[in-house]
Amino acid sequence: MTEDLDIKLIKYTQEGLPLTKTPYKDIADGVGMTEEEVIDRLKALLENGKIRRLAASIAHRKIGINSNAMTVWKVSQDKVEECGKIMAAFEEVTHCYERPTFPGWEYNVFTMIHGYTDEECENVIKSIKEKTGLDDYVMLYSEREFKKVGVRI
Amino acid sequence: MALSEIEKKILQRLQSNLPLTHRPFLDIANELDLDEDLVIEKIKAMVEGKYVRRLAPIINTQAVGNSATLAAMQVPDDRIEDVAEVINGYSGVSHNYLRKGKNRELPLNIWFTMSAPSQEELEGNIKEIEDRTGFDVRMLPTTKKYKIGVKFKIYRKG
Repeated sequence: MTEDLDIKLIKYTQEGLPLTKTPYKDIADGVGMTEEEVIDRLKALLENGKIRRLAASIAHRKIGINSNAMTVWKVSQDKVEECGKIMAAFEEVTHCYERPTFPGWEYNVFTMIHGYTDEECENVIKSIKEKTGLDDYVMLYSEREFKKVGVRI
Repeated sequence: MALSEIEKKILQRLQSNLPLTHRPFLDIANELDLDEDLVIEKIKAMVEGKYVRRLAPIINTQAVGNSATLAAMQVPDDRIEDVAEVINGYSGVSHNYLRKGKNRELPLNIWFTMSAPSQEELEGNIKEIEDRTGFDVRMLPTTKKYKIGVKFKIYRKG
């Protein structure tokens, strides 16, 4: 029941909030809740992590952030935690994840690095190398973007 | 159209949570020492100009019960176009890129992210892509997150 109303609210808003003076009131009118309920539900969804943020997704290329280097690193198990934290601390590193390996693929840590230029990304990579002592990595630049959309439910 | 200083200021602010109040844009306007109508007008213009993809809840797919993975494929040049098209056809695909190793060559060249309402459906879709394209798909789901917070610095350095 509660769940359904959350999903209803997310589905109603995921393409964009009304750009009006009272967006939550307008959402409330659209989904048949009160403004207070909409605000409380959104607060709860942010607190329980079902919504990461209620914020703008920006078209980074359009504002000039043209370089994105997905950099994959080979990190030994005993150093993953420490290295992950060091990498995550860079503001140009927007995502930092550990992922599984398999025969023929031994890069277990992935960092997404965004910058205005390739050089900017590579300076970050250089700093990460210095701070972590890691040396086995591959910078994977995007050559073509086939699709880029926000996650919807 | 390049972004004005006011727009950059608004855009920087909008990457953090919108206030959950009766007049959120008025609150932002007050924070930034701007006028509410101007803030709304500028946001509309940035959405129309496609600087902002959307101002909306950013969903945590896993937390709402979905399964997701990063996936990679090794596809020869002359098949890239049609394979990318097959992948794009799935609504759960949010990112799909052709990537090339810069400091080292890597065989995997198509990288995409996919989510689905269940692990079963996710794996079914991946299997279907393999069948339809004739190439293997490697699933690389997240095992641990150290950071997720796509917030860009709008102001150029230096």
